Amino acid sequence: MADYINELLEGRIDFEGQKLVEKLMYYVLIASTIAAFITGLALQSLSLTFGTMGLSVAVLAVAIIPPWPAYRSHPIKWLPASPQPGKK
Amino acid sequence: MFSDELKAFRRLGFRHVLLQVLNFASVIASGLMLWKGMSLVTNSESPIVVVLSGSMEPAFYRGDLLFLTNPVSELYKTGDITVYKIPGADIPIVHRVLETRNFPIKDWDPSTSSSPHPVEQKMLTKGDNNHVDDLALYEGLDWLERKHIVGKVRGFMPYIGYHLTILLQNDFPQLKYALLGGLALLALLQRE
Amino acid sequence: MHSIFSRLNNGSSLLSSCLMGLLLAVTLSTFVFTAEPQGNLTIGSIRVLEGRNPRRYNQKQEVGVVRFNVTADLTPLFHWNTKQIFLYLQAEYNTTEGVQNDVVIWDRIVRRKEDASINVVAKDKYHLRDVSRTFRGVPHAQYALKYNIMPYVGVLTYGEVARTSEAVVFPKLGEL
Repeated sequence: MADYINELLEGRIDFEGQKLVEKLMYYVLIASTIAAFITGLALQSLSLTFGTMGLSVAVLAVAIIPPWPAYRSHPIKWLPASPQPGKK
Repeated sequence: MFSDELKAFRRLGFRHVLLQVLNFASVIASGLMLWKGMSLVTNSESPIVVVLSGSMEPAFYRGDLLFLTNPVSELYKTGDITVYKIPGADIPIVHRVLETRNFPIKDWDPSTSSSPHPVEQKMLTKGDNNHVDDLALYEGLDWLERKHIVGKVRGFMPYIGYHLTILLQNDFPQLKYALLGGLALLALLQRE
Repeated sequence: MHSIFSRLNNGSSLLSSCLMGLLLAVTLSTFVFTAEPQGNLTIGSIRVLEGRNPRRYNQKQEVGVVRFNVTADLTPLFHWNTKQIFLYLQAEYNTTEGVQNDVVIWDRIVRRKEDASINVVAKDKYHLRDVSRTFRGVPHAQYALKYNIMPYVGVLTYGEVARTSEAVVFPKLGEL
């Protein structure tokens, strides 16, 4: 039981998933920062800027924090175990 | 969750712990260097302060960050927002200058005088959110003088110091707040 | 990125860098918005009355009461980074002894663009006093209407809206 909770809290994802998450994080955060700035500047509202940022961050958090199955679709293929030398 | 990290730690041994301590010490040292460097450039003993009271609302709320300068070559003017400390009462106060009275200094010698201008300034301040001026806060002094002023507010950043003020309320002097703020910034910028 | 914790860690540090960049961009954008507000300032009347010295309770002191008329349009100063404008009216005078004085006699906080059209006919909030406790050594004074823009984030800016075109004389004690 403790192991199950541990695994749930850890939320491990495979390497391909990690690459995807990292790319997503960088692109979305930087793009939304720029978009938030331009929108706010154009419409002269600072609350619009931070509202846009807040919304983007919320959506991004839902997309990358939990270990969605999409991030686990390329599990590591381990090589078959080689015979142990000198052991019975 | 951390059991793996703890085991790795113990395995690496004493030297590793020393290295971590050294890392931590270098972060503190760079924070201190940044702080002292800023003090030199701005000529202010405390170039970043956290707002502690509500006497300048609605402009400044508790927890906002203020950036100060104290240029020697400039006279203070009405409308300037200053941070000052009354000797004997060590709490810095952030209020706006209401009156300035510039007294000419007799026999002013620019090479020996402490003031770059031939005037000595006497000032009166008032918080925007207060009804009366600060005379009652001056602990017997009639006027505020240049030497009491830590600096003039030039820049502003909202909210940043809020949790600091909750945690360290009134027990620690202003300088420590600002130093912690500076360190936090450094820690954020160094992504490991 | 392998665990939730490391994703949160990396994400929050990237986010804080982005936010710092955003705040810096907002601060820099403020320098683009330069505007000259228009206004007019006239002094209605000044009376010099007998009052008390707030610093020495038993001492008498001459107090100047100023009535003025101010119109100003501060709307061009409101941009996205304007949190509030602190408007203040000050008297500027030199005494015969050579002391230069700037004294704020009235102020107002303007928080919204809708309130930025100022039309005030009023008496001062803070009466005029001189350090010498009399206005005999003060021939006349200029009056100026100034402002301080306080931003949501960034640098505070100052400016002047209007000024009296000629110096205003102080009447004698009790006279109109």
